[in-house]
Amino acid sequence: MNIREKLGRERLFFDGGTGTLLQAQGLKGGELPETWNLLHPERIQALHRAYLEAGADILCTNTFGANALKFPEGGQFALEAVVTAGVDLARAARAEAGRERNAWIALDLGPTGKLLKPMGELDFEDAVALYAQVVRTGAEAGADLVLIETMSDGYEAKAAVLAARENCDLPVIVTTVYGENGKLLTGGTVASTVALLEGLGVDALGVNCGMGPAQMEPIVRELTAWSSLPIVINPNAGLPRTQGGRTVFDVGPEEFAAVMERLSACSIHLMGGCCGTTPDHIRALTARCRSLPFSPPVPKARTVVSSYSRAVEIGKSPVLIGERINPTGKKRFKQALREHDIEYLLNEGFAQEEAGAHILDVNVGLPEIDEPALLTEAVCALQAVIPLPLQLDTSDPAAMERAMRRYNGKPMLNSVSGKAESMAAVFPLVKKYGGVVVGLTLDEAGIPPTADGRVAIAKKIRDTAAQYGIPAHDLVIDPLTLTVSSQPDAALVTLEALGRIGPEVGCPTILGVSNVSFGLPQRELVNTAFFTMALQKGLSCAILNPRSAGMMGAWRSYRALAGLDEQCGDYLAAYGGQTAPAPAAAEPAAPLDECVLRGLKEGAAQATKAALAEGAAPLELVDRLLIPALDQVGRGFEAGTLYLPQLLMSAEAAKAAFEVVKAAMAGQSRETRGTVVLATVKGDIHDIGKNIVKVLLENYGFQVEDLGRDVAPEVIAAAAARPGVRLVGLSALMTTTVVHMEETIALLRRQLPQVRVVVGGAVLTAEYAGRIGAHCYARDAMATVHFAQQVYPQT
Amino acid sequence: MTAAAPYEEVCRYLGYKRGVQPDPETERLIRACTARVEEAAEPKVVSTVLPLACSGEDGLKLGPIGVKSAALAKNLRGCGQVILFAATLGLEVDRLIARSGAGRVAEGAVYQAAGAALIEAVCDAANDALRRESEAEGWYLRPRFSPGYGDFSITHQPDITRLLRTPERIGLTVTDSMLLLPVKSVTAVMGRARQAVPCHRQGCEACGKTDCPFRRESA
Repeated sequence: MNIREKLGRERLFFDGGTGTLLQAQGLKGGELPETWNLLHPERIQALHRAYLEAGADILCTNTFGANALKFPEGGQFALEAVVTAGVDLARAARAEAGRERNAWIALDLGPTGKLLKPMGELDFEDAVALYAQVVRTGAEAGADLVLIETMSDGYEAKAAVLAARENCDLPVIVTTVYGENGKLLTGGTVASTVALLEGLGVDALGVNCGMGPAQMEPIVRELTAWSSLPIVINPNAGLPRTQGGRTVFDVGPEEFAAVMERLSACSIHLMGGCCGTTPDHIRALTARCRSLPFSPPVPKARTVVSSYSRAVEIGKSPVLIGERINPTGKKRFKQALREHDIEYLLNEGFAQEEAGAHILDVNVGLPEIDEPALLTEAVCALQAVIPLPLQLDTSDPAAMERAMRRYNGKPMLNSVSGKAESMAAVFPLVKKYGGVVVGLTLDEAGIPPTADGRVAIAKKIRDTAAQYGIPAHDLVIDPLTLTVSSQPDAALVTLEALGRIGPEVGCPTILGVSNVSFGLPQRELVNTAFFTMALQKGLSCAILNPRSAGMMGAWRSYRALAGLDEQCGDYLAAYGGQTAPAPAAAEPAAPLDECVLRGLKEGAAQATKAALAEGAAPLELVDRLLIPALDQVGRGFEAGTLYLPQLLMSAEAAKAAFEVVKAAMAGQSRETRGTVVLATVKGDIHDIGKNIVKVLLENYGFQVEDLGRDVAPEVIAAAAARPGVRLVGLSALMTTTVVHMEETIALLRRQLPQVRVVVGGAVLTAEYAGRIGAHCYARDAMATVHFAQQVYPQT
Repeated sequence: MTAAAPYEEVCRYLGYKRGVQPDPETERLIRACTARVEEAAEPKVVSTVLPLACSGEDGLKLGPIGVKSAALAKNLRGCGQVILFAATLGLEVDRLIARSGAGRVAEGAVYQAAGAALIEAVCDAANDALRRESEAEGWYLRPRFSPGYGDFSITHQPDITRLLRTPERIGLTVTDSMLLLPVKSVTAVMGRARQAVPCHRQGCEACGKTDCPFRRESA
C-alpha cells in the first residue's frame, strides 16, 4: 500500500538510532557509517530486521551522509553503490520479516555538512544537485518515501526538498533539529520552518535529534499550533552527556515510551527515535502507543510568510510592508540600480527595518535592466543580513520564479491579478515554491468601478487558486486604492470592498495606501486618514513608507485603540517621554570638517545639507572640507596617534556627506579619479578588510567595482578587462587562500599586463606579496589609497 | 551558555596598545557593538577524549587521526590521552559582521574584534570546565593547541570536525580552503597527562609569531 494513504490517517512508527548502534558494533569515530552498506551488509540488514521486529513501520536507509561530497567520484566507495545497497538492505530485511505490505523504506538524507552561500561556500543549486543525485538513485532502488532529517538549516532543507520533488514522485518528510532555545542552529523558529516546509508542499514534518522526548515538549506544542500536516517526532534517548570522553544517552526504553505517550496527547502522527535509541526503545514505544487514540492533523488556515529566522502572520495585528526598495519615482534609486549598487538597496532595507517594518517589498524593475538576475541578486543580498520576510514584487514571472527558488523562506509575492494569463503564470510557482500571493482585483476588463465587481474578481482569484491546490489563506486580496482627487468615490469603493473581502471571500487584505492622495497637497494628511479608515475596515496589511512618522503614528494609535496593544505598551515604547513632536531637521551639531574628524555620521550629513542649502558648490565642499579632513585623519592613523575605529568612523562620516552631495547632484555621477576592482579571492570569505579599503577609496574619489568575496580568478580578470581599469585590489586572510591570490595575479599578468595589483590580508608580508607577483603590498587601507593615487595620478 | 568579551581584549584586537584608552565616542561604539555580538552569539562547544600515540619527533595518532607536527608533539609530551575540542559563536555573529559590510565598516571592525575576544573567552571557560573534569579523573590538562599553530597543519580541520560531527552538533563546518564557518570558531587539541607539568605559557603568549601586531604584551 502507498504510504501516502496512511500518512495522517493512522499512527506510524519510525525506527530508532543507527549511528550509535553501529559504534557499539565497532564503527570508529570519523568512519563513514554508510560504508558499512558495502563492508558489513549483514550487520545493517540485521539492524533493520531488529527494528521491524520491534514494531517499526518505516525503516530509514543507512544513507544519512551519502552524498558526493563525502563519497566523491573516483573514491574508494561509489556513491550509487552505497545508496543502492542502503535501499536494498532495508528491502531485504523487510522481505525477510514478511512485512512487504505494511512497512516502508525511507531514503534517508542528512545535511551536506557544508554551509550554504552566502554565509558559506556551497551554492544553493549545487546543494540541490547533490541531493538530486541521491534521490534518483534511491528512488530507482525502490525507496517508498524520502526522509530529510537532522536539518539545522531551513535553506539546505529547501534544497533537499526541491531535489526530491524534482526527481521522484515519492512522499517527502522533513524533520529538523531544534536547540533548547527553540531554534534551528541557523536561526529558524518552529513557525518559520513550518511555513517554509508547508509552502514547499512536503507530506509531513517534525523534529528529530538534539534532545530527548521530555525536552521536546515545547517544540511539539509549537508544531501542533502551526502545522496543518502530520507531525513527526524522533527524539534522542535523552540529552547527550559525556562520560569518560564518550557520548552517552540516559533515557531507557520504558521511560522513553512513557514520555512519548504523554506527548502523543498533543496530536503526534509519526513517532520513532534518533541517537541513542535502540530496538528496545522502539519495542516499548510501539507497545505503549500503537493503540492510543489517534487524531488526524487539523488545518490551521494561518496566513504566514517567513524569512530564514522569522515568521510573520497576516490577519492578526495589521502588518506593515516597507515600500522603499522600489525605483518608481526615485532618481537616486534608479541610479543605484544602474550602477549595480546593492549596498544602497541594503541600506534602504536597514532603514525600514529599524523604522519598524515587518516585511520588505523588493522591486528592482527598470526597463533597461536584467530583472530576473537583479531581483535574485537583491533578494539573496537582503535575506543574508535582514531577518524580515521579503515581498517579491515583479510583473515578470521569470524574475519571480528565479527569486522564489533562491528565497530562504516562504515569500510574499506581489502580485497576481484576475487576468487568466496572470493566474496561469503565477499559481504554478506558488504551488511549487510556496508563498502568500497578493491578488489584485482587476482583470481583462480593467478595475471594476464598484465594490461588487472587485469582490467578484477576488472570488475568481480564490477559486482559480484552489484549482491549483493553493488555499485561500495563502492569498491576500488588494481591493486597489485609486486617486480620490480624480474620482470622488474612489476611497469609499475601496473601503467597501475591503470590508467585504474578509467575510465574503475568506482572505486577508492588503492596500498600497499612498495612491489615494495623488495630486493633492500635504499628502500625508490624506494618507494617514485613509489608512486609519482602512484599518477600521479590517485591513490586514499595508504597503507604506515605515519612515513616515504620520503613518507609523496612525498604525500605533490604531493598535492601541483597537485593543491590539496590551496596556498601550508599544505606543508608550515609541512615544513615551515625548511631550511634543520631535523638532524637524535640527541644526548641524558642528561644521562639516569637524564632523568628519570626530566621526559623526549624522552630523556630517546634516552639515553638508546645511552648507548646500546656503549655496555652497558640492564639489567645493568636497575639495575644501571633506578631503582635507580625511587626510588629517589618515595621517593620524599612519602616525599611530589615531586607531582603526576612529579612522573608520571618520570614513563613514565622510561617506554620509558624499551621499548627500551625490543626491544633490541629482543622479549625475561625480567625476571619478579612476576605477579600482576589489575582491576577496576564491575560497576566502573574510571581507571586512576589503570593505574598509572600499570605503576609503570611494572617499578619495575612486570608483570601486566591488566583486565581493570568494571570487574566482576569471571573474576578477573579466572585471579588470573593462576599459579604463588599471588597478585591482585583492584580499586574502589565510595561507590556504593566498594560493588563489597567486593564481589570480598570474592570470591578470598574463591577460592584462597594463593592470597593477595591490594585495593585503593578515598572512601577507611585503616579501610574500612580491613572491606571488603583486605590484604592491598594502599593510592597511591608507596604503592602498596611496598606491591607487600613484596608479591614477591627479590630472 | 553565556559569555562576555572583555573590553580590554576587544581593544587589543582593534590595535590599541596597552594603556591607550579609546576616546569616548569610540568607546561608545566599542561597547555597543560588543554588546550586540554577545547578544547575537549562541556559543556551543563539543569535545571528546581520544587515546594518544606518539612515534618519533613529530609523529602522532590522536585516536584515528594521524598528525605530523613537532610543535604539537612537544605540546603533548608525556600525555596519554587528548581531548579534541571545538567551539563556535554561531552564524548570527557572521550575519552581524556581514550586515556591517554595507558601509558600516567601523561597526564591522568592532564586531570582528569582539567576536575574536568572545570566542577566546568561550574556549577559556569551556577549557576550565574540562580541566576540572579531567582533574577529578586524575588527569592534568595541557593548554589548547589549534591547527595553524606552528607546524600543526590546518588541513587537519576536516579530520577534527568529522570526528566530532560538528556540522550536525554545533553547526560548525570547514570549507575547501580549511576555513571554519561560522567564522568565529575554534578547534583544538588538549593533552591529558598523569603528571602535572608547570606551564605558564598559553594562548597568545605561546605562539611563535613574536612580531604579530596583536600580540598580548605581558603586564
